[in-house]
Amino acid sequence: MGYKIGLDLGSTAIKMVLVKNNEITWSRKVPTAPGQEALAMELVKGAVSECGLTEADIDQITATGYGKKLMTAAGLTVDEISANAHGLHLLSEGRCRTIINIGGQDLKVININENGRIADFKMNDKCAAGTGRFFEQVARILDTPLETFGELSLKADEPLELNSTCVVFAESEIVSLLAKGVPKERIIKGLHHSVARRITHLLGTRYASKEGDIYLDGGPSQNKGLLEALEDELLMEVKVLPNPQFTVAFGATLSVN
Amino acid sequence: MNIGQQENRQGRLIKKIFDRFTDEAAQEVNLLKSRPDFRPELEYFVDLLAAGRDPATIANRTGRKVVALMCLQAPLELFHVYGLQPFKIFGGTMVAQRLSAPQLPAIMCPMLRSALGELHLDLAGRNGEKFLAWVAPTTCDWVVKIKDMMEVCGVKEDPPFHRLELPHLKDRDESQERWLEEIYLLKTFLSELTGIKKIKRQDLANSMRLYQKTWHVFSRLIDLKRQGFAPLVWFMVITNSFFFDDVEKWSAAVEKALPLFTERPKNGPNVFLAGSPIFFPNLKMLHLLEEAGLNVVMDDLCSSERIFPGAVFCDDLSEHGLLKALAQRYHQGCLCPTFSDNDRRINNIIAPAHKDLYQGVVFHVLKGCHPFDLESLTLESRLKDLGFKFIKLETDYTSEDSQTLLTRLEAYRSSLVN
Ligand code: SF4
Repeated sequence: MGYKIGLDLGSTAIKMVLVKNNEITWSRKVPTAPGQEALAMELVKGAVSECGLTEADIDQITATGYGKKLMTAAGLTVDEISANAHGLHLLSEGRCRTIINIGGQDLKVININENGRIADFKMNDKCAAGTGRFFEQVARILDTPLETFGELSLKADEPLELNSTCVVFAESEIVSLLAKGVPKERIIKGLHHSVARRITHLLGTRYASKEGDIYLDGGPSQNKGLLEALEDELLMEVKVLPNPQFTVAFGATLSVN
Repeated sequence: MNIGQQENRQGRLIKKIFDRFTDEAAQEVNLLKSRPDFRPELEYFVDLLAAGRDPATIANRTGRKVVALMCLQAPLELFHVYGLQPFKIFGGTMVAQRLSAPQLPAIMCPMLRSALGELHLDLAGRNGEKFLAWVAPTTCDWVVKIKDMMEVCGVKEDPPFHRLELPHLKDRDESQERWLEEIYLLKTFLSELTGIKKIKRQDLANSMRLYQKTWHVFSRLIDLKRQGFAPLVWFMVITNSFFFDDVEKWSAAVEKALPLFTERPKNGPNVFLAGSPIFFPNLKMLHLLEEAGLNVVMDDLCSSERIFPGAVFCDDLSEHGLLKALAQRYHQGCLCPTFSDNDRRINNIIAPAHKDLYQGVVFHVLKGCHPFDLESLTLESRLKDLGFKFIKLETDYTSEDSQTLLTRLEAYRSSLVN
């Protein structure tokens, strides 16, 4: 008894956490694929059996993310912006006031108040620029694993001035830079800076936190090169939680009907 | 490809789009008619929209020749007294854009892009009946250039085209005088168009009275929306259909529908919907607002609450007095963002009398609609200073952004209820 499950059915990955007394006791993510509900239920079964629990131990399943409505087993659903706000508020011990969340296909900036409630938020529109999907595309063009982007960009001295954050235009720009012999490290660093500028633009002066902390959240926030570029552009310290890809799923478990 | 082959190709494309256009409208009609709150009294409005907007259909229904209107500043009463049916051009179909998009700028008001595409479809489907004339008040840049764009898009419309030069300052006496001159010019234009040399003062007064009566009925519907009884979807189906029939018949149908709205929606905070127009069959935003649990109790869309500029009252019953009253009502009373001194529009939203009706403002901007986009900046800061929650949603006629729009609306709702 006393366990809660949070499921974040995102556009690129399904993330799940098992929570007891507001502590994450188990977490896992799988890539999104057709049959999201079945994939999510596999995760639920996995958690229950690996933790030696039975279904009766689970008090509540809450779903969030783009696929939340597909989860018929979920007793509760919550939008991912509210879930993100609740999760980061608790995990930052109330210090977070601004969240920059990089999702699979969107970019969000959320301002929260001292109670963890949403004060304001902004999201990019349809364009995939600067999102997780964009990073994946660039990794493919550069033929370089995404996990190494942070490390590689930290090796470059000067970022390259990249003009495009649009997937289509970035591809031709990157291909022509590679043809000119520009090292990948500089291209990646340039890319991080152009995404960071886009985030700074989305954040705007009115959204930057005057008090409290700024957190970078979502899968790509583990990229140290991007974090450095963002701090450079914002001229502020930006914090990252140890497991940023699970904040939204965790926040979902804190939601009440 | 020779000209004959090109025309053939264009003809086939129009035919193909015509079928898909009909499907797009039929899908929305099905959606509306399968709602649990659909009632037979609402069928009239849905059917008006479903039957299409080509001039032949409208002319047959109303028994009047139809004049296309590009914006709402031309007094409807004046058309009426000349025996004409004014018809405000709104484009609501996604698929029709395929007929106009290749020739037009990539970022352009989707409502007009769609309207330009629909004109091709009218030509294909209306048995030769054309709009008798076009009347275009010079409001936003897209409307100012609409005639050029019609030509660029190959819409073979050559009826008389009358521009009304709209003074973009409302609160100056000189602007009022200037606008009155334009109303006189419109009167001359309509007189030449119809061959009616002189209208009787009494007839003009009667037309004004008819619209006054309609306004009374419409304002009762607005009140029901303010109180949360009339759901926005139905409110907008009713307002969208305003130009599709004779004003008296439309008004009688509204009166019949009023008793339907007796139930308040169970959930959700109340909001004000501001911004660019929303028009059938592209009611995406309305469905999303409902799905997110937000009740729209007020709006200032020109395809909705503002579609009918309101009653005109006047003490001076001379012809000049009547025309002056009309000019004033349609100019000073207009809340379109294309005016430069437009505090009234913002004050309408934040008016103390309205403040308790809603908790936040949802601002809908069509991509490429600059007047609303620009005005949202002032409005956002004024509203936030007053402690209101504000959300701006930029979209177009595609449905691919529905999910992200819904996410935003749901989060916005949480921010209002917390
Ligand atoms: S004001 Fe906006 S919606 Fe209306 S015609 Fe102009 S650009 Fe289009």
